[in-house]
Amino acid sequence: MIRLNNIVVKFGDFTALHDINVHVKEGEFFTFLGPSGCGKTTTLRTVTGFIEPAEGSVFVKDKDITHVPIEDRNIGIVFQSYALFPTMTVYDNIAFGLRVKKMKRAEVDEKVRTIARKVDLSDEQLKKAVSQLSGGQQQRVAIARALVTEPAIICLDEPLSNLDAKLRVQLRGELKKMQKDFGITSIYVTHDQEEALTLSDRIAVFNKGYIEQIGTPNEIYNHSATEFVCNFIGDINRLSEEVVDKLLAMGAPIRKEDHHYVRLERVHVNAPETPGALTVPGTVDSREYYGLYIKYYIDLGSQTIKVIERNDGVNLYEPGQRVTVQINPADLMSYPPSGEEASKG
Amino acid sequence: MNTLRPKPFDVTKVLQLIGAVFFLYLFLGFMLLPCLNTLTSIFSVRNAAGERDPFAVIRFFLAGNMGKFVWNSLKLALCLIVTVNVVGISIVLLTEYFDIKGAKILRLGYMTTLIYSGVALVTGYMFLYAGDGIMTTWLAAKFPNVNKTWFTGFNAVLFTMTFACTSNHALFLRNAIRGIDYNTVEAARNMGAKPFKVLFKVVFPTLIPTLFSLTVMTFITGLCAMSAPTLLGFDSINPEIVRLAGSSTADEAFPQARAALLSILLACFTILLLTVLSSYERKGHYLSVSKTKAKLQKQKITNPVANVLAHIYAYVLFLIYMTPVVMIVLFAFQNYPAVSMRRLDLKNWTLINFFGTQDYQYLTNRGKYKTRVGSISGVFSNEATLNGSRTSFILSEIAAALAGVIVVVACNYIFKHKKTGTVLEYALLFPWLLPTILICYSYRVFFNSNDVWYVFGQNLYYQDRVKLLLIIAYMVVRLPFSLRMIKASFYAIDEELEDAARNLGSSPIRTFLRVKLPIILPSARAGFALNFPYLYPEYDMSATFASTYGTSYAMVIQAMCREEGLYGYNVNASGRRCASTVFIMLVSGLILYLVYGVGARDLGERLEHRDRRRKRWERISGAFRKKQSSEAVVSS
Repeated sequence: MIRLNNIVVKFGDFTALHDINVHVKEGEFFTFLGPSGCGKTTTLRTVTGFIEPAEGSVFVKDKDITHVPIEDRNIGIVFQSYALFPTMTVYDNIAFGLRVKKMKRAEVDEKVRTIARKVDLSDEQLKKAVSQLSGGQQQRVAIARALVTEPAIICLDEPLSNLDAKLRVQLRGELKKMQKDFGITSIYVTHDQEEALTLSDRIAVFNKGYIEQIGTPNEIYNHSATEFVCNFIGDINRLSEEVVDKLLAMGAPIRKEDHHYVRLERVHVNAPETPGALTVPGTVDSREYYGLYIKYYIDLGSQTIKVIERNDGVNLYEPGQRVTVQINPADLMSYPPSGEEASKG
Repeated sequence: MNTLRPKPFDVTKVLQLIGAVFFLYLFLGFMLLPCLNTLTSIFSVRNAAGERDPFAVIRFFLAGNMGKFVWNSLKLALCLIVTVNVVGISIVLLTEYFDIKGAKILRLGYMTTLIYSGVALVTGYMFLYAGDGIMTTWLAAKFPNVNKTWFTGFNAVLFTMTFACTSNHALFLRNAIRGIDYNTVEAARNMGAKPFKVLFKVVFPTLIPTLFSLTVMTFITGLCAMSAPTLLGFDSINPEIVRLAGSSTADEAFPQARAALLSILLACFTILLLTVLSSYERKGHYLSVSKTKAKLQKQKITNPVANVLAHIYAYVLFLIYMTPVVMIVLFAFQNYPAVSMRRLDLKNWTLINFFGTQDYQYLTNRGKYKTRVGSISGVFSNEATLNGSRTSFILSEIAAALAGVIVVVACNYIFKHKKTGTVLEYALLFPWLLPTILICYSYRVFFNSNDVWYVFGQNLYYQDRVKLLLIIAYMVVRLPFSLRMIKASFYAIDEELEDAARNLGSSPIRTFLRVKLPIILPSARAGFALNFPYLYPEYDMSATFASTYGTSYAMVIQAMCREEGLYGYNVNASGRRCASTVFIMLVSGLILYLVYGVGARDLGERLEHRDRRRKRWERISGAFRKKQSSEAVVSS
């Protein structure tokens, strides 16, 4: 559906994107994830045509659109700020693109009302000014405006970042449902890894203008291709040399010189002995109580390791309590210190 | 950011080229060249022997013959800094910071200078305090020893301008004080600071940048004062420039070059001050770091004596501000004898000062009464007044509209092109560096010739063409203000809005007209609306042109200060003067209401208002229908 081939974008001397290759499939919800300044929005703007790449090409349905003007690309976009026109009513905002296409009045009206119904905007709300709507309603207007011209693709540039935490989670669900209902190919830009993991079919993780990994949420999380990805996605423990030595001593198939990581939920406190797993004694340093789970900081002498335990209501460890920590070598993600090929655990 | 390839025929490029040519023409032709001509004219002086003597004027100046005007202007400017700041700061503190009873009414009184200024205000004060003024006459009746000519010269100018120049304080200082985070005041109080300590240690420091700007502006206003010194008789720079401009070499030594030298001196002072101001502003402001700003609450003055004194001071100031307004309004509706005797006749009210005519009777020196039919006329029935008003109205409308359009187009460019945009911005701010009198004087001299090729060799200071020159001068002088005003609104345009419109297929022109223009329109309208009341009663510029073909409303009003003589010259001038001032107040007041009251509402607020109106109407009509139907039931 969308294919980015060897895209390079430069701003003066600065190279913002280095050799970006992405293939988004039809109907897929594809996310560009990364910290701010990593190039994800630049890539999105290259797709929509606001930026023309210095090298490489953009294909949509096997047609080269690299030099096609923005307005002829048939790609909808929902901006971070929603970019709703403040001097127009909700209706006029949605109708803008249709009127640009010089559609007949009746047709415009019909299309606006149909899309408004689909995104749950009432006739009453259509008459309002955009400033009179809540954040969630404004987002729906932005989506309706992007979808009403029936684009082949919709691009969403951090559309949830302006909202408060609760609304963000709620709208995340609505967004996914809407995407499913419309069946439209979507590119989603975010720096929020939780958002990316819950919404996406596939994710591309960006860092400093490069793509570090493209994969499903599970691949990204459990089999991070690079040290950057494993650090950026979710919380993680890097094992100290002493712990690595102990693992090597019991014959774990890992290399001493690599950096070894283990996810918080893969470490277990006071678990029964398991063959092949390493058990290390430690002391509970502190704990954070989240309700659903409890996060423990356990002092192993050589390092403090973070562990997440499900709140089963039975075991609650107090700070100062002596415990054991169990790590299974199969759960490790290991990376060579610099530049070498990653070897997944 | 945008590196899209241009289309083969790019309309935007053509438009940009036309724009570049236009702005070059405007800047070189109507800002730089005329003013440079003034500068060089100083050095092209011929002495009595007819020889070229480049330093003659400067020697003349150094010999001390012109120093008086410069010194007087400096004295006025320096004194104004003190008096305007004292009055300006106190009116803002009294209405916004301290808890003074009746603050809302007081504020209205203090803000009256927003709706009448310049000649209208000076003649208003003269109506009260001049030798034949209401107050002076009243005082002289009570205390015969009162000096009836006290309201002339320096004191009168200082008094009048002190109150006239507080409008900026009322606008900007008020905003600054309202921007203070009340939590900082509470924090200081919590740590044990007394109210006045809080005022000096916490509140004032945040106001210093605003106060500094206001002080510089006041100083420039004082230096460039025109209407008050002219009308009240004070020898400052500007009236002298205008006098010299109209003088000829037959009467005195190189008057034009002296006028030029004085204008250049004014310009130097202005440039120096603005440089100081901008370098100060560049150091940065005290921005509030608070994300949750608390609204300022009025501070009670706990000391009872101080409280009473503050109230007395507030109401004395209120009286000073309000008396001229009230008197002018009252006398605008008084008949001819009452106005000319400056004595209120509470039984007779009339509209004669506005509309219609009356016969004028006077006693000749032969002891006979003569009648002049229709000699007492109102503002709208006196041909001279009406003509002046009409001329000013049309010229300022056109100039204000042109300034608005030019600045909107320029801002659209400035925000898209950082480097060349900055050049354009500075070009448009250029008139700010120069006193308006210098610009007008330069126009008057430079365009009074058939040799200026870029205006097709036409003498623009000739007959009706003066009007065109006035329009250009008005427009050029208002460009910097319009730019500041309208540019601010361009910051409100989210860059993503433009992207969104283009993504939906809109062309750049459509995006500008449908998306950007509606956003900036309120401030463009506000810019127009504020330029118009500035230009409509404007005196300084039209007086510099001093042409019978460009007699502005203010020049007519100024002429009305010369009261009718024994045989009925300029009959009912004082009545028309009052009525004119009332008319100007109404126009300016209405415009300010439209801009800041109605015009400041956004689409949401407008829709809410419409909704509320509709509901009110439905309620009324519903009640009416109900009543009708119940009546029908009863009658059946």
